[in-house]
Amino acid sequence: MQRRTERSEQRVEQRTEQRTEQRTEQRAEQRPQDQPGATTPTVNRRTLLKAAGAGAAGVALAGAAGARPTRARQGGTTIRWWDYYNEGANNTAMQAQLQRYMDSHPGIVVERTTIPFADLKQKLLQGATAGELPDVAVIDNPDHQAFAALGVLEDLTERVTSWGQAASYFEGPWNSTTFEGKNYGIPDNSNCLVLWINTAIAGAAEVVPPTNWDELRAAAKALTAGDQYGLAVSGVKSEEGTFQWLPFLWETGADIPTIDSEGGRAALQLWVDLVAERSMSQGILGWTQQDVLTQFQNGKAAMMLNGPWQIPVLKQDSPDLQWQVTTIPVQAQGASILGGENYSIVAGGPNVDAAWELLTWTQQPENLKQYLSEAGKLPSRQDLAEDPYWTGDPVLRVFVEQLKVARPRAYGPSYPEISNAIQEAIQAAVSGQADVASALARAQATITPLLPSS
Amino acid sequence: MARSLTQTGTGPLVRPSRGIGLGRLRGLGGYLYVIPALAYIALTMLYPVYENLRMSVHDVNVRTFLAGDWPFVGLDNYRTLVDDPVFRKALSVSLIFTGGSLLVQFTLGFALALFFVRPFPGNGLLRALLLLAWMLPTVVSGSLFRWSLDGDYGIVNAGLEAVGLLDSGRFWLIDPDTALLGTIIANIWVGIPFNMVLLLAGLQNIPATLYEAASVDGANAWQRFRSLTLPLMRPVALSVLLLGLIYTFKVFDLIYVMTGGGPVDATSVLPIYTYQLSFEFFRFGQGAAAATLLLIGLVGFAIAYLWLSRREEIA
Repeated sequence: MQRRTERSEQRVEQRTEQRTEQRTEQRAEQRPQDQPGATTPTVNRRTLLKAAGAGAAGVALAGAAGARPTRARQGGTTIRWWDYYNEGANNTAMQAQLQRYMDSHPGIVVERTTIPFADLKQKLLQGATAGELPDVAVIDNPDHQAFAALGVLEDLTERVTSWGQAASYFEGPWNSTTFEGKNYGIPDNSNCLVLWINTAIAGAAEVVPPTNWDELRAAAKALTAGDQYGLAVSGVKSEEGTFQWLPFLWETGADIPTIDSEGGRAALQLWVDLVAERSMSQGILGWTQQDVLTQFQNGKAAMMLNGPWQIPVLKQDSPDLQWQVTTIPVQAQGASILGGENYSIVAGGPNVDAAWELLTWTQQPENLKQYLSEAGKLPSRQDLAEDPYWTGDPVLRVFVEQLKVARPRAYGPSYPEISNAIQEAIQAAVSGQADVASALARAQATITPLLPSS
Repeated sequence: MARSLTQTGTGPLVRPSRGIGLGRLRGLGGYLYVIPALAYIALTMLYPVYENLRMSVHDVNVRTFLAGDWPFVGLDNYRTLVDDPVFRKALSVSLIFTGGSLLVQFTLGFALALFFVRPFPGNGLLRALLLLAWMLPTVVSGSLFRWSLDGDYGIVNAGLEAVGLLDSGRFWLIDPDTALLGTIIANIWVGIPFNMVLLLAGLQNIPATLYEAASVDGANAWQRFRSLTLPLMRPVALSVLLLGLIYTFKVFDLIYVMTGGGPVDATSVLPIYTYQLSFEFFRFGQGAAAATLLLIGLVGFAIAYLWLSRREEIA
C-alpha cells in the first residue's frame, strides 16, 4: 500500500537483470567447448571477442550471484516465492533473509520473483487459473481476505494452532490474516500512519505538536502562509485516499459499517474544513502519499500524514530537513491504520510443509529482528516491539506506540469496492460536489450490502 | 480482384463432378497457406472474445472465480449494467470524451496538415518535433498534463494568472466541472500529430495539377479548398476519423495516470469502469459484460468504417 509508480519503474531493472543472468549462464557453459579455438596461437579478432565476452560473463555472474539466490541446486526442495519488494532496503533485506535461510538449510532453494505492486493481484489471479502459482506469496494486508475468499490460499489453522505463537502478535495485523475464523497467513511487517512535523517551520511559528483535532486545526492554520500549507494528506482516488482518511473515522468511534453517522460526518467535515480554511490544498485529492512526501520535503507542507517507509527516503534525500513524528491527534479515541504485508502459502502446492517451515523460521525473534531492522520495517509481534531497537529510537518509538491502536481493513472480500465508495465520498465532499451528509449517505447505501453478513 | 486471380489460376481444373482431383488439391493448397494466420487469429483474438462472452453470461465473482462452476445467469450481468447509473454515467463520459477529443484534434490536425503541405524552411524539423507528442509514452504525457494542470504549481494557472484571466488557483483535475475537460485537452494534444500525419499524406496525394487548373479557371483559395481539397480528402478524412474514434473510445492509460477516473467518477470512461469492475472489485462477470458492450460498440464503428470506405471506393 505504498508507492506504486516507483515500483513499476523497478520492474524493468529487475527483468533485465534476470535476462542478463540467463544469458551469462549459457555463455559460461559454452566456454569449455570454445577452448580448442582459444589454444590456437594466433589471436584473431574472433578469439579476442570471445575472451572479452567470457570476461564480461564472469563479471556479470559474480554480480548476479551476490544479487539473487535463484540458482537451483540439484536434489533439494525448491520453494517458489513471490513478493513485490523490488526496491531499496525492502528488496535487499528480503534477499538477505532468504539467503540466510538457504545457507542454514542446505537442500532448500528459495526461488524468489519480484513482481510490481500493481501487477501482483492480477498475476496471482492469472496464476490461479493457469495452475502456475508460487508456494509463498507476500500480499498487501487489505487484500488478504479477498484472496482467502478466492480459495487461492492454504488454510493454516491447524498448523497455527500447533505452532502456538498467535498470541504474540498485535491484534490488528493478526486479524488481517484471518478470514471467517480461519488462518490464512502470518503477518510479515506492519506499518501505520503518524503525523510528521517540520520542526524548523513549527519552531519558528511556535507551534507545538497537536494532540487533538482542535489543536490540529489550529496548528494547521498557524502553519499556513503564502504557498506553504499547514497540512498535507493524500485524498487521491485509490486505496491510498481511504488509507489516509480511515484513522480519522475510527478516532470518532465510528466505523465503516456506521460511516453515515455523527462520527463519520465529523471525520469528513474535518478534511472539508481544513481545505476550506486553506490549511490544506485542494490538490490533496490528486496527491498520492508520495506526492504528500514531496510537499513536505520542499517545505510546501509543514505537517503531513505518512508512514514509516518514508523514513529512509527522508534521511537520504533530505538530510537537512528537520522533522519529528507524533501520534495522530485524537478525537474520542486514538487510532491509526494498519498497513503492511502478510505471508501466505498457496493452496494445494507440493511444498506446503517446507513453505510453512520457512515462514516460521522467519518469525523466530532473532531472525525477524535482523530482517525488520535491515528493511526499516516495524514488527507485528508484541514481544519484538518491546525490543530496545524500536523503543530506544525517538522516531521508531512513536510508530510502535501508534501501531498499538492501528486497525486493519478487514471488511470481507468486497473491501476494494467499499474502499471505492469511501474514496468517492471523500472526493465529492472535499471538491464541494456534495455536502458531507449526502456524500456519506450515498457511501453508506453502497457499503451496507457489501459488508460480510456475519 | 483477388477473386478473379484465383479463378483464372485454378478455374479450368475445378469441376465438382470430378471429385478430389489435382485442381481441388491445388485449391486446398491455397487454404493451407491461410491456416497459420487463421490459427493465430483464432488463438489470440477469437478465443479471448469467446471466453469473455462466456464469462459475461455467468456469475463470476470472487467466490466462484476459481471454483469454475460458474452459475449461468443469462443476460443478468448486462441488465445490471444497463440499470446501473454508474455505467450510464461512464458511457456518457466516454461519449463526451471521444466526441470532444475527435472534433478538436481532427480540426487542428487538418489545419496543421494544410500548413505543412507547403514547403518552407524548417518544415521537416517542425513536423518531427510535433510528432514527439505522439511518440511519448502515455504515462509521460499523462504526468506532464497532471502537473501542468495542478492548482498549486501548474504552468497553466501561472500562464492564465500572468495574463489576468484567472485570479486564484484553479484545480483543473480536482474540480468535477473541469476534470473531464483537462483529460480531453491532454488527449487532444496526444492525438493531433496522428491526425496531422495521416491527413498530410492524403493532401500530398492530391495532384498539384488540379490546383493549377483551378487557378487558371480563376478559383480563389477558399474555392480551391471547398471544391477540390475537401471532396478529395473525404476518404482519408473518414479513415482518420474512424481510426481516431476507435482509438479514443478505448483510451485508458492517459486518464488512469491523470485522475484515476476521479474526482468521484467525473472522468471514469467505460474502459476505466470496466477495469475497476474486473480487477478492483473482482466482479468478473459484470466486467466481462461491460467489455463485451465496449467491444460491440467498437465493432459497430469498424463495420461502419468498412461500409463507408467500400461505398467510397465504388463511388
